[in-house]
Amino acid sequence: MFGKVMLGVLGTTVLAGVFVAQQGLVRVRVVEHKEGGDRVNLYVPAAVIPVALKLAPEEKIREAIERAKEWLPAVRIASKELARLPDTELVEVRDHREHVRIRTRDGYLEIDVESDREDVQLSVPLKMIEKVAQELHARGPAS
Amino acid sequence: MKTKMTLKAVLSVALLMALAISVPATAAAQAAQTTQPERWLHVRVESVDGKGELVRVNMPLSLAEKLLPAVRNERLRDGKITINESRMNGVDLRAVLEAVRTTRDGEFVTVQSNDGEVRVAKKEGYLYVNARENKKDKNTQVEIKVPMTVVDALLSSGTNELDLVAAVRALGKHGDSELVVVKDNKNTVRVWLDSKNTSE
Repeated sequence: MFGKVMLGVLGTTVLAGVFVAQQGLVRVRVVEHKEGGDRVNLYVPAAVIPVALKLAPEEKIREAIERAKEWLPAVRIASKELARLPDTELVEVRDHREHVRIRTRDGYLEIDVESDREDVQLSVPLKMIEKVAQELHARGPAS
Repeated sequence: MKTKMTLKAVLSVALLMALAISVPATAAAQAAQTTQPERWLHVRVESVDGKGELVRVNMPLSLAEKLLPAVRNERLRDGKITINESRMNGVDLRAVLEAVRTTRDGEFVTVQSNDGEVRVAKKEGYLYVNARENKKDKNTQVEIKVPMTVVDALLSSGTNELDLVAAVRALGKHGDSELVVVKDNKNTVRVWLDSKNTSE
């Protein structure tokens, strides 16, 4: 009996692991350059984000949709198309104070900002962006 | 013994399911890579005064073609931009483009002055705009080359609008070409089209 339960747990864990790995991770890294500055490393399974959207307060979601409604179709299309295309550096802006790079790599949209004050790195699965934009668009008022 | 057999069976099933989930995604990615090469629009702005400032944009034309219809605001709708003559100092841009389109090859605008010169010409399927400005503290040179098929595509829509999506589509059918070059004392701007996804 114990063996069967363990097998069930193991099987579920393996499948959950594969699912999470396939959906990817949202990664946020912030390093402040001042003395005693913060270092933040945040990893969130992308599979959690659409679920969190469903559980988030309706009012907050409505506010987000209201702010982004004009751009949601464009975001959905852009993420879908970028996932189809080879990895590329989409935008790079460099001056004497900051270096900003927006690129796609292995199905992720990566945004890196390096500056005198802090470094910020954000990495988001393109499929997740598409899903979130689709979800928000579907929940918004009919256009 | 029985438990070990079941363990193997469950692991096998789990691995098979994992493969089943991941293989179609890999196959789709490989299929996408074997289709015809993507056309890319590149923009590069580089400072020439030693400050090392740089802006690079690499935009796949297919993305622009699909994104434009999704953008909706006062003047841009369904990938078409509405021309408001009152906001263009009375210049009928559509009429100007139509005139250029139907004119034979040749140089049809030449303005020369002490401060510089402007030339607009049409030659072998391209519209050329070359401008040069010479001032005390600033020399600027502008070279623009637009395929006439792009001009045709722009005009393919209604009477008071320009079809940007059709223009992007027409641009995608052209070979590698330099579209815009602007040089002055501080910056160099280049806009060009090719099949590479980098602007190195």
